[in-house]
Amino acid sequence: MSTVITASAIDRFRHVVGPERVLTAALERLVYARDGSMNQGNCGLAVLCDTTAEIAECMKVAAEFDLPIVPRGSGTSLAGSAIPLDGSVVISVARMRRVLSIDPETPCAWVEPGVLNLDLTAAVTHLGLHYAPDPSSQAACSIGGNVATNAGGPHCLASGVTAQHILGMELVLPDGQILQLGGPAPDPAGYDLRGFVVGGEGTLGIVTKVCVKLTRNPPVVRTLLIDFTSLTAAGAAVRDIIAKGVIPAAMEMMDRTMTRAVEAFVHAGLPVDAAAVLLVEVDGTEAQVSEHTRVVEDICRESGASHIRVAADEAERALFWKARKNAFGACARIAPNYYLHDCVVPRTRLVEVLAAIEHIAARHDLVIMNVFHAGDGNLHPLISFDRRDEEQVTRVLQAGREIIEVCMRVGGTLSGEHGIGMEKRDFMPLQFNAHDLDAQARSREAFDPTGRMNPRKVLPSGSKCGELSFPHDHLPEGTWI
Amino acid sequence: MDLAPGTPTNRAVLCRALREASDHARPVRISGGGTGGRRGLIASEPAEVISTMEFDRIVAHEPADLVATVEAGVPVRELQRTLGEHAQTWIQAPDIDGATVGGLLSRAASSHRRLRYGAIRDSLLQVVMVTGDGRLVHAGGKTVKGVAGYDIPRLVVGAHGTLGVLVEVTLKLWPLPSSTAWFSAEGPTHHVAAIGEQARHHLHQPASVLLSPDRLDIELIGPPDDLVAPMGMHLSTAPPVFGGPATVELGVSPAVLPQLASDLAECGFAFQAQLGVGICTIAIATLDELRDVRAMAIAAGGHAVILDAPDALRADPWGPAPAGLAIMRRLKNSFDPAGILNRGQFLGDRTGAL
Repeated sequence: MSTVITASAIDRFRHVVGPERVLTAALERLVYARDGSMNQGNCGLAVLCDTTAEIAECMKVAAEFDLPIVPRGSGTSLAGSAIPLDGSVVISVARMRRVLSIDPETPCAWVEPGVLNLDLTAAVTHLGLHYAPDPSSQAACSIGGNVATNAGGPHCLASGVTAQHILGMELVLPDGQILQLGGPAPDPAGYDLRGFVVGGEGTLGIVTKVCVKLTRNPPVVRTLLIDFTSLTAAGAAVRDIIAKGVIPAAMEMMDRTMTRAVEAFVHAGLPVDAAAVLLVEVDGTEAQVSEHTRVVEDICRESGASHIRVAADEAERALFWKARKNAFGACARIAPNYYLHDCVVPRTRLVEVLAAIEHIAARHDLVIMNVFHAGDGNLHPLISFDRRDEEQVTRVLQAGREIIEVCMRVGGTLSGEHGIGMEKRDFMPLQFNAHDLDAQARSREAFDPTGRMNPRKVLPSGSKCGELSFPHDHLPEGTWI
Repeated sequence: MDLAPGTPTNRAVLCRALREASDHARPVRISGGGTGGRRGLIASEPAEVISTMEFDRIVAHEPADLVATVEAGVPVRELQRTLGEHAQTWIQAPDIDGATVGGLLSRAASSHRRLRYGAIRDSLLQVVMVTGDGRLVHAGGKTVKGVAGYDIPRLVVGAHGTLGVLVEVTLKLWPLPSSTAWFSAEGPTHHVAAIGEQARHHLHQPASVLLSPDRLDIELIGPPDDLVAPMGMHLSTAPPVFGGPATVELGVSPAVLPQLASDLAECGFAFQAQLGVGICTIAIATLDELRDVRAMAIAAGGHAVILDAPDALRADPWGPAPAGLAIMRRLKNSFDPAGILNRGQFLGDRTGAL
């Protein structure tokens, strides 16, 4: 793989998309060397594509010159998935923002990968539909990026993460070949390549069209803001609500530090003295919503909730959600930088893990704030710091590692929705052994035998043991697999 | 023609058996509860049979977490009984007597409630499997949400045992519905299809909308107040499970399924269509009928595969090659380098088109 982009390679890219959409200036490349994580990359060249055909041609040029490729949507990755390393070529799909077709009967839509998550929902609102996965960055993140990370969001508790809402896609392979995987017709014969590409973090190809499943809006929605005098009580309430067989549409938690930061930013009237705030949304028919609201309220009161506030109208509901979804941005009030983790733990272990994180913060003299998808145990401990303070950065990284280790010890998962990228890559051996990583490396190679797609992401170096052979001459006549 | 079955009692034995078979390129057929029907290409050579039936433990069930870890040979009914004691269920799984957890996942058999609760592949959180060459591999995670690493669990669902032998899985569970009700309507197929579409668009999350010739069945789940007959329907009971001596499964866009089902009814086929899902199971009797229904599926942008049929109807059980076949072959090669697992059955036809 080459890390030098020659003048003739640049000319070829210019020939494909036109000179104005090939960015070579140092300042322009600097913009494409960062994403939403705290990492810094090195972009060799950025190419802004408008069509599948352009992407396929660019892939062929990259193949010819043996250049590494990093696909990029809005660049909001929190794990460094969209950062180019070693002067890779960034191929941006951010200009591909058309909703191509909407089928209200299925219901589903074909969209280009640069369409923003919230814009997709806005495009189908008049049909009484929405796109269910709603990451907090939904006003900025693209559907292509959502597919790459298998994005989540508060409402994935009941409706499932991105993989459950992607019916098909068009994928350009690193050699420029264009494939259509899946679509509105379910369960085509063969392996579920569509499902495998979701969460592939741009290492398997570039997704150039996406068939998204759309969801009908629930008839009734009720949103409750509940405050607790201790994190433990709030964690217990979450556990008991699930155990009672109620799966709310969303169940989010914020600790006091986070609540205060958010309130100062959003002014939603949040209870700033509460030790923990729980945001619970139930939806469905009037009968379902009444039943579930009663269960949630009863359990919260039994667990020691001090106050329950029900959103009076859509405006107040929107305010609650604005507070929740602006939490990461509000952290800038505490410190200029944050290091965010995304582990998932069994819901039954939430309380002890939150306590352990508190101890880690105290031990390293750090501010760690929590705002997270409590209903599915997906933590987002956020360590505030100032990157100019090197000694503090050392403590931040150590605390981050300890948080991950605690989560792994209780049977947790490294990432719930942000992906592995480069930021969590070297923690992968904490969850997977050498055989597991080898199987993943080989699976990745089935899509990208050259290793040029988003290199050095997801899997730590040395994941693959041994070489593969491709015999296939032993297949019985007439069989393909 | 298969050789005597081997029933490994633990993972180490299974790994060794597969490693040896792989070293000698001896084909291996994997068996579970044996309820999967006669599907896939007819094997052209004898194979050693490896059964998963000794992997029969429910390893962990944490009710408060709505997650269960079970071995692949556990019969689904046994699992559901255990879960039911805690008012929980593996809701995406069909209720098939004798079927194993691993078998249902391997053939991607989803329950009739797929419309509301999703496909069975959405319920698989973690898999522990032994590859064709005897490597024990874990993938996914035990939590209800997780994106660490590549989604190998999704690959093995519907892979018909060609990538590895499943030994243990972790499943996402749901609360057992407290009250459910079936409603039905009779009348010309196109007429009841329209009632079904109306219900699908206007009811909140019906569990199931099933269309058969001249009949519609809808299952609702929810509080008793919500279990009222949709317009044009009356209270009923669960329809019989659809089957026949030979069945084909069509997958088409839900938008075109009502019309396709009406066409099938006009041609005199017996079928059951899952409106909103896009799946239609059809009884066939001849190769000509297979050809006809497959042509209808393809014309509607879909596909048709044999679910269960005698040898005479299984010359081409999978239909045209799917997109990405070259990637599938490389995946197969990476999990089963000697190509021993269920060799000669998955994807392909007797003519050797590729």
